[in-house]
Amino acid sequence: MTLKVYADRMSQPSRAVIIFCKMNGIDYEEIKVHISKGQHLTSEFEEINPMKRLPAITDGRFKLFESHAILIYLACAFPGVADHWYPADVSTRSRIHSVLDWHHSNLRRGAAPYVFNTTIAPVLGRPLNPQAAAEAEPILSSSLSKLESFWLKENGRFLLGGNQPSIADLSLVCEIMQLEVLDEKDRARILGPHKKVQQWIENTRNATSPHFDEVHKVLMKAKEKLQNQRLKAAKNEGGSDMKKALPSRM
Amino acid sequence: MKLKVYSYRRSQPVRAVIIFCKVNGIEFEEVRVDIAKREHCTPEFSEINPLNQLPAIVDGEFKLFESHAILIYLACSYPGVADHWYPSDIFKRSKIHSVLDWHHSNLRRGPVTIVQNSVVAPVFHRTFNPERVAEGEKILSAALSKIESFWLEGNGPFLLGVNQPSIADLSLVCDIMQLELLDEADRNRLLGLLTIKSYKMIHRL
Repeated sequence: MTLKVYADRMSQPSRAVIIFCKMNGIDYEEIKVHISKGQHLTSEFEEINPMKRLPAITDGRFKLFESHAILIYLACAFPGVADHWYPADVSTRSRIHSVLDWHHSNLRRGAAPYVFNTTIAPVLGRPLNPQAAAEAEPILSSSLSKLESFWLKENGRFLLGGNQPSIADLSLVCEIMQLEVLDEKDRARILGPHKKVQQWIENTRNATSPHFDEVHKVLMKAKEKLQNQRLKAAKNEGGSDMKKALPSRM
Repeated sequence: MKLKVYSYRRSQPVRAVIIFCKVNGIEFEEVRVDIAKREHCTPEFSEINPLNQLPAIVDGEFKLFESHAILIYLACSYPGVADHWYPSDIFKRSKIHSVLDWHHSNLRRGPVTIVQNSVVAPVFHRTFNPERVAEGEKILSAALSKIESFWLEGNGPFLLGVNQPSIADLSLVCDIMQLELLDEADRNRLLGLLTIKSYKMIHRL
């Protein structure tokens, strides 16, 4: 087994690559690199990817990073990958490149910092940053609107009117799944208005079942932990409110 | 029907596409869209690209936007484009995808943030924002270091250590050239961050 995938399943693009490998029966070894423990900053991992980012792969002596580049490489290099993931037709393929490029400066630019600065930062030893979150939210919302009104406007179940998923669906849906860890109110406010987007997420999940749910387990566990923390914090606040009320009753 | 390239030459990714067409003898009609006059927001241009961004192309009935996607499409669709621009070898090609992707969240963000929050701020209905400019300079400086120490590693003068330019060199260099819009003192200070390797790459191109 020459293919190694360096991944942290809390990382959106890592999940896209793992799900792709599983869906296509690609033989690989998953090497877990925990961002929360700083394992991406070690000199061992720097040998694999000097940019110290996940995911990264090695295939024999070949090393590669950036998830879109990895997905395209795997689609081209491994036999048995169905054409719909990365079609051979130049025009269809170009449109997939177009949405993957758009993703970097739009959906990811909004979603990743919003989730990080409202929720995830403390897990990685950093403070929450409400200002950065406030700057990211309109980019996220605008991107979801563009998905709803443009990228999903044709009749198919997937992006660009496709009836089967491509690497673009996998990449973008894994990004949006990160919103699961948000406070439920925020998630409902941001994602709620976009019905087509929600349906498309479900379509992608079903098309990549059971791997989608299995690979997202880590994220869902984090979601549960964060929800419990929020409930606890809310209860404690309620308790201290009562204490403040007592002197006035007396 | 000739290829149409919707263009605004002050835009870095537009220049990459135009240069690519000219260098490869691809016949095209350049349709100028003046961003300063908000021509990219007209209903006519929205028909071409509903996301109102440049560059965009129309090739027969096929419409496409996002400069990297356009460069790849042109390299694959037009005969006579030399292999070094977008090699057919899967390993070389993947490395080009890797640097093009890295570019979005790294180099591109630097000059764009600096220029949009200083000299061209009024075009985007913004005021000069020294904080954002400082942020942009940090991003640019980090990206240029990575280009020096990693992407230009190897024997050749171009990205990924090769001897002939690819679409990645064109895309990244056009972004660095955007710094020409700054006043001379700022430009010299920032371009001073480039060392011999980067200059060689830019001038060879």
